[in-house]
Amino acid sequence: MTPAWLAPRACSVIGAAHRRQGKPCQDASLSAELSGRNGEALQLLAVADGHGSSRSWLSDRGSALACREAERAVVEALQRTPLGDTTTWRHLLREGLPATIQARWQAAIADDWRHQPQNADPLEPVTYGCTLGLVLLAPQWWGCTGLGDWDLVAVHRTGDAALISQEESLGARAAAEATASLCLPQAAGLCARRAQLQPLAAHPQLRALVLSTDGVRKSCASDADFLALCSQVIDLDDPQQLEHGLEQITRQGSGDDVSLAIGRRAQPAAGGRWPRRAGLALSLGSGTVALATALVAGSRLLQRPAPRPDPVLQQQQALCADPSRIRANLTPRRAQLLQLQRDPTLGQRLLAAPERDPLGALLARSQRSPLRACPPLEQHLATLWRDAGGKMPAAPPRPDERPPAGSRPAAPGSR
Amino acid sequence: MPFPNVRLSNRPLHFIYLCDCSGSMAAQGKMQALNQAIRQSLPGMAEVARENPEARVLVRALRFADRAEWHLEQPTPVDHLQWRDLEAGGITAMGEALERLAGVLQSPPMEERALPPVLVLISDGQPTDDFETGLATLMRQPWAQKAVRLAIALGHDADLEVLQQFIGPEPPGGGRSPRRPLQASNATSLAQYIQWASTAVVGAASMPASQVQGATSGGNIPLPDLPPTVLDPTDDVGPLVW
Repeated sequence: MTPAWLAPRACSVIGAAHRRQGKPCQDASLSAELSGRNGEALQLLAVADGHGSSRSWLSDRGSALACREAERAVVEALQRTPLGDTTTWRHLLREGLPATIQARWQAAIADDWRHQPQNADPLEPVTYGCTLGLVLLAPQWWGCTGLGDWDLVAVHRTGDAALISQEESLGARAAAEATASLCLPQAAGLCARRAQLQPLAAHPQLRALVLSTDGVRKSCASDADFLALCSQVIDLDDPQQLEHGLEQITRQGSGDDVSLAIGRRAQPAAGGRWPRRAGLALSLGSGTVALATALVAGSRLLQRPAPRPDPVLQQQQALCADPSRIRANLTPRRAQLLQLQRDPTLGQRLLAAPERDPLGALLARSQRSPLRACPPLEQHLATLWRDAGGKMPAAPPRPDERPPAGSRPAAPGSR
Repeated sequence: MPFPNVRLSNRPLHFIYLCDCSGSMAAQGKMQALNQAIRQSLPGMAEVARENPEARVLVRALRFADRAEWHLEQPTPVDHLQWRDLEAGGITAMGEALERLAGVLQSPPMEERALPPVLVLISDGQPTDDFETGLATLMRQPWAQKAVRLAIALGHDADLEVLQQFIGPEPPGGGRSPRRPLQASNATSLAQYIQWASTAVVGAASMPASQVQGATSGGNIPLPDLPPTVLDPTDDVGPLVW
């Protein structure tokens, strides 16, 4: 059976201005392929944009936690709700998911705050304030929800693109650069305005959906340029090209952090001719199999929650199951890598509570000992450590590997 | 396949001086001091613009005396700017100046993606026309609402009340604040405030952080601290020159 959607992708890149100012990337994004009861496939795209002001000084963590908790909330909903029940999913997008995500995010930031040096002060949610945009891609429909200044563009088979969701004007009295935020008490209620569920049957011309943070649109000279960007970016096959393109966008544009998440419909094999993008899915065939295996394993873990798995190992396996996520997830962590280089206690804190920030804990672990992860992950980590002026411990050779005689052990991926 | 080749653009940051050119500005060298302060601030402003390539700093100036008219009408990149001296003479058509300003803060000509403009009103006296109507016209423009509005009062005859109305609600508590009129009592403090507005404020406005909906207590953008002045503006003793 032809899948409704091709493998999703997401990428966040630190803004040129933030890089210059030594600030972390305050955007976060993810794409995930989820599996429900009876093996129903649901894809998730998410972008979150931390406010970044002095009041929101942990908003880089807030945006990462927002994406993480959104994914967990969708996974839970998927276990309970068949995708064919569009009435319930419509309600979930309007009310259920926003309320759950907000509650989970509040709990997550409270937990994170307890580990901050200033934790004696009461937590103000604005400290972690961020926007959040979610898109769900089901076999028969797509839906979205969220709040803040993200944009959602539909690209049609004709090549036309149209903005189908943007933040409504907050009015002339709103402050400059004002946006709705997950830190607002009424955040869940605000999501209802952006929620929608659309049957695919009613939109046969839909080819792709592009979700982006405001930095992308503000970097384009006009909305026409933004829509042209969205209509063309979906044809990029190389995730590295997407990342480099986003770096160019922020450098020549707004200087803000930029995130894109892309969901593409699989085209029917009309006349026995596979469209170009279907080739991508085929070329990732082995990765898809690995991902399916991981999802099956994941669903088993859901059924048998104890014993608790190692969050770092889980993170490692998830990235290795879908290598296209490695770069997208690790690149925004460059600032954290530099912090790990500078502050040895950060690694200890991350490893002491790996469930709070599994990816951060993975970075900390990679600083201390060989991971024995898949080669793409090891290579990317080695590159990041090298760029950060450090070096990842070399993995000892696997039993089936022998280094050439006389060669020096080197970090995986080192050139 | 290459990455899409679409037009990218940094964001325009409009910086607009509104300068009182009434006859009283000729007294005690105020006009000369203002011209000198603006001219001397340009290299620093250009440097800040270079350090923030994501913003395209564009300067304009509006003068008001018997009438309000553009002194520098075209939005001019700061590194291309040659300051032409303002001259004093006439009364204080501040209300008309605000109406003229409202005309350029409409969209269009304001760009959709512009950064919040920075508006600096400099005056040594009281409006002689309908200030209230001018201000109301200005504040109907969303870009005026979103602008960073600063005011510099020259000497003790300046009408602090109207300058505060231009800035917006006075912040609670006392003390120095960029959201109160900055009181320049001599050429040195005027130069310091002009320098601060054209460098520190431009830097802050070049890369504003997002603000949470409904949280306007901090102004449109968080403003940098005021420069230390020779004479504290809240202090009513000292060598008041103007």
